[in-house]
Amino acid sequence: MRLYDIVVVLSPEVAPDQATALVDGFKKILTDDGAQMKTEEVWGRRRLAYPIAKRREGVYYYWQFEAKTETVAELERKLRLSDDVLRHLAVRADEELRRSVKLRKKREAKAAAKPKKAPAEAAAEPAEPAEA
Amino acid sequence: MRRDFKKDKKAGGRKKFFVRRRKACKFCVEKIEYVDWKDVKTLQGFIPERGKILPRRISGVCSLHQRKLQTAIKRARAIALLPYATD
Repeated sequence: MRLYDIVVVLSPEVAPDQATALVDGFKKILTDDGAQMKTEEVWGRRRLAYPIAKRREGVYYYWQFEAKTETVAELERKLRLSDDVLRHLAVRADEELRRSVKLRKKREAKAAAKPKKAPAEAAAEPAEPAEA
Repeated sequence: MRRDFKKDKKAGGRKKFFVRRRKACKFCVEKIEYVDWKDVKTLQGFIPERGKILPRRISGVCSLHQRKLQTAIKRARAIALLPYATD
């Protein structure tokens, strides 16, 4: 199981009730295969940064879930087949998340080490005149 | 007037090179480890009018964060959150 981020852009011409049915269908693919939904957001109607298939707007959905690779592959296949999906993007989130946690730890360790270093230097300084 | 100008130049030869403030990486300052491709507002700050990615020599972003920013912008472009190019 891996953590995934996915964004689906639906065509604005799809009726709202039809869109929810479509989205529920996609979600069913995930849940049927044992995926766990973590976060679910509906960004709603947004202006596209550039026209896609002569449309200037799109309806955005965002999900974050834990799923197997094959499950996501199947979902992506279905998304590609559907004509109402203008764009979709599925990316792994766990790798980036782990990396950012590691970076944060590193930074915190560095911050913790810094004040320790200052007294050490102060202790070293009075020692020097004694040598002379 | 002209002589004054000349004198000024001679006297303040060093002043000609004004002190340039060192640019700090926005992500390092704000302690952001993960550059989120969903956060359009932040990404937009690194997209000039033309829609290109702002070079780090101008923005001052560190190389690590510039690389992360780059993938984030490219991902956002794929789902039309950001433009590839604008005129």
